[in-house]
Amino acid sequence: MKMLLARPWLRDVVIAGPLVLLLVGFLVIPLSFILWGSVEGTKLNFAHYARTLTNETNLKILLYTLRIGLIVTLVSLVAAYPVAYLLTKIRPRALSIVTIFILIPLFTAFLIRTYAWIIILGREGIINNTLLRLGIVSEPLPLLNTTFAVVIGMTHVFIPMAIFTMYSSMVRIDHDFARAAQILGAKPVQAFLRVYFPMSLPGVLSAGVLIFIIAIGFYITPALLGGPSDTMISQLIVMQMTTLLNFELSYASSIVLLLVTIGTLFLASLFIPLEMIWSPSIADLSNRPPSARTRALKGAKQVFDPVLVVFEMLVHAITKPLLTRKSRWLWVYTIAVLVFLTAPLIVIVVLSFSSSPFVVFPPPGFSLQWWEKLANATDWQASFLFSTKLGLTSALLATIIGTMGAFWLVRTTLPIKRALFLFSLSPLMVPVVIIATSLYVFEARIHVLGSFIGLVIGHVLLSVPYVIVVMSAALRGFDPSLERAAAVHGARPIQVLRLVTLPILKPALITAGLLAFLTSFDELLVSIFLLGRQTSTLPMKFWGDIKFQVNPLLSTASTFIVALVIVSILTVQWIRVRHEKRTSASANN
Amino acid sequence: MSTSLEMKKIQKWYGALHVVRDFDLYVKPGEFLTFLGPSGSGKTTALKMIAGFESPSGGDMLLGSRSIVDVPPYERGIGMVFQNYALFPHMTVAENVAFPLTVRKIGRAETEEKVLRALQLVKMTEYRDRYPNQLSGGQQQRIALARAVVFNPSILLMDEPLGALDRNLREHMKIEIMRIQDELNMTVVFVTHDQDEALTMSDRVAVINEGRLIQVADSRSLYYSPQDRFVASFVGESNLLPCRVDRIENGAGKVTIGAATSGVARLSGQLGGEAGWLFVRPEHVDIGPLGVIPNTENVLNGVVKDALFLGEMTRYAVRCDDETITVKQQNRGQAQLAGGTPVTVSWDAANCIVLN
Ligand SMILES: Nc1ncnc2c1ncn2[C@@H]1O[C@H](COP(=O)(O)OP(=O)(O)OP(=O)(O)O)[C@@H](O)[C@H]1O
Ligand SMILES: [Mg+2]
Repeated sequence: MKMLLARPWLRDVVIAGPLVLLLVGFLVIPLSFILWGSVEGTKLNFAHYARTLTNETNLKILLYTLRIGLIVTLVSLVAAYPVAYLLTKIRPRALSIVTIFILIPLFTAFLIRTYAWIIILGREGIINNTLLRLGIVSEPLPLLNTTFAVVIGMTHVFIPMAIFTMYSSMVRIDHDFARAAQILGAKPVQAFLRVYFPMSLPGVLSAGVLIFIIAIGFYITPALLGGPSDTMISQLIVMQMTTLLNFELSYASSIVLLLVTIGTLFLASLFIPLEMIWSPSIADLSNRPPSARTRALKGAKQVFDPVLVVFEMLVHAITKPLLTRKSRWLWVYTIAVLVFLTAPLIVIVVLSFSSSPFVVFPPPGFSLQWWEKLANATDWQASFLFSTKLGLTSALLATIIGTMGAFWLVRTTLPIKRALFLFSLSPLMVPVVIIATSLYVFEARIHVLGSFIGLVIGHVLLSVPYVIVVMSAALRGFDPSLERAAAVHGARPIQVLRLVTLPILKPALITAGLLAFLTSFDELLVSIFLLGRQTSTLPMKFWGDIKFQVNPLLSTASTFIVALVIVSILTVQWIRVRHEKRTSASANN
Repeated sequence: MSTSLEMKKIQKWYGALHVVRDFDLYVKPGEFLTFLGPSGSGKTTALKMIAGFESPSGGDMLLGSRSIVDVPPYERGIGMVFQNYALFPHMTVAENVAFPLTVRKIGRAETEEKVLRALQLVKMTEYRDRYPNQLSGGQQQRIALARAVVFNPSILLMDEPLGALDRNLREHMKIEIMRIQDELNMTVVFVTHDQDEALTMSDRVAVINEGRLIQVADSRSLYYSPQDRFVASFVGESNLLPCRVDRIENGAGKVTIGAATSGVARLSGQLGGEAGWLFVRPEHVDIGPLGVIPNTENVLNGVVKDALFLGEMTRYAVRCDDETITVKQQNRGQAQLAGGTPVTVSWDAANCIVLN
């Protein structure tokens, strides 16, 4: 302890070490292996790139991926904006209720949600059955295995993300600006379009970038909801590696995907500070010099001004009755979005109590047969236990490594602090499929592939950035004089940590741990590559079964998982609220 | 038990910034010493070095007879009240106050007893089970004070502890802090940029400017005999008029004030022929209609620029040639001199000093 105190750099090494080791050892090095392999090392053979970019099929897949990414991003942003806007205006009570309805789908595994869409959109799915029964169509519409299904499924995944990302930056825009504009004579539409909307653009942009880079690396939804022509690049990479066994080609495709991602982030960084994308509460826009963003906006504004004026007048005429009625229409719209978000989950829950041996909706009767089956299904139990063990181990490690790293990132006085913070978030920037394949190749080399520890490393890598985001936000809000007060009154460094720092950070620690656990618990791609001959994780069990047959047992398992997720979210919310009530800084006098 | 504190040639550099320069200071056991200085002068930095949050770049520091420069904060046995109180939000009042005892592994019974005594001292016994966010600012302040004194620290540090309180509460807490210091006979180092606080509460005030100790003295000497222009203008209101010492007679200086008026003033080490600044407090300047020649050494003629009625007194700004002289006159029913009135201002030689 004494030694640690005496040498600050040694303390830095100890707390930053694990994080740096993890990122360099299991992200940077594996990625460089891929880069190296894609040109066949010293041969510097660019043929695989040429093939990736000129082969018609490959090029089509790449373009399709970008197109879907754009469409999904735009649809999600447009759909989510009004909801995020409403959230900034409502009371805390209503806010926490709406939030829960968005959080639950947000934290429900992609697989479960995709499964729900299979049930809803299938040939004998809910929509087709309803249309047939009402006599609107005479034969089932081809909804599943279409681009439409892919877009719907992905939008469903991204809307909650879009809402939260935009909300967390929009909530800091003072509505008084728009009110001031109105007092100065602007009509509500003008006040919105000319004052509020431009101020909310950084939030919209960061949500857009976040969604786009995840969307172009998406695997599950297009694989299950799309048709043969809906292949996206992640599927291509997996196929090249596992079916075609053409490693170099898959490396080249991975690097192309990575470059697209990096390019997107670079473009975004011209307009917003990148950390804002993952951690909106951290970035501070106010002290940035006027950037490309301001200039671009200015230019665009001059060009579009006449159009804007006409548009405003039109919109004003239409929306006058709507806007004046206490945002009632916004509420109607928001509720519609919430229904869209939660309906698939409700379908799953209802199906889990079905008396039918098949997936029919609405179920002909109530029975607990599927729950009994689940209770007796040893394979499901084994997967559940294994996933829980994996999730707990990864969450524990990620929380420890990430928290230590966050301490370092927030408190270091190194001038490259910001770059280090961005670097620590890099597992969120690299498409998961690339992390999965690069780890696969790398772990095979160091002989940990297929071991529990190898799997844990992959999951810790994916969840550590979430821990860092949560913990560094909490640490930045942490009053350093509390630690000084403890020290001067006799607390040794370890006592300061145990009695003051950690107890005050408890809610953040729990949140971080939960996020890390859920990340691991829902993870599919990395597990597919790193699992080896171990028990299937729950998502892999799911994945296997969906592809094999769609039966109500999956609904029951999903319901069980969703229930667990809901309980843990509510518990964490409750702990946070209780803690905050007690420790909020403001004295109420 | 109170302890002395001694700073010997203490220095602090932040990179190329010399924030604390050559602090040489001895604080007697049981003394209440205040660091007074403008914002950014290095008060907090000096206090941080005493507490051990920053280590000095040079010099030595003794608590009693022990050198503490290499002792970590938690072994110094110092009590401290922070500007924002720094109460632990997740602990009750009693737990907060017990904290210094808890970390020292003092027994339960003794802890209970000491906490109770500290809470009695600050008159907060009935709040022991509340959390800090259920207390008002003044109450939090008292708890912070109780926590800082509960373990009989060798010395108590306070960094602008009254800064966040409103005016009435501040007056009240000033008196409370003085009472408690008196009761415990504790050595206190107090930091403020508020001269009223410094003058009222301290045994001695150390005026700091740009990292340097300018003058360390009791309140009266500081007010009536400032050592230089900075102290004169920082502590209380003052007139500073450019002057030249013509010659020295009986220890006092014959001076020329402004362009041509001659007068007499105390000197602070100047020699004949030196230029300096004549310092006189506004309340020591008499004012009367022009023509009534007062019987004092320093007399200037001028015109009232403006007159502010302040209740107990009237504050005049009088234009004399190029200088403006501020005068404060007690209101005892005399007529107020309106703006534009030609007047004579005057003061005794005993009440003015030439400063460098
Ligand atoms: N950690 C630091 N690194 C660099 N410079 C610092 C640091 N802390 C303080 N300074 C500088 O040292 C000088 C003195 O600061 P200090 O906080 O001691 O002033 P102060 O007298 O307490 O002022 P105030 O009345 O505003 O609290 C300031 O110029 C400040 O900018
Ligand atoms: Mg200060």
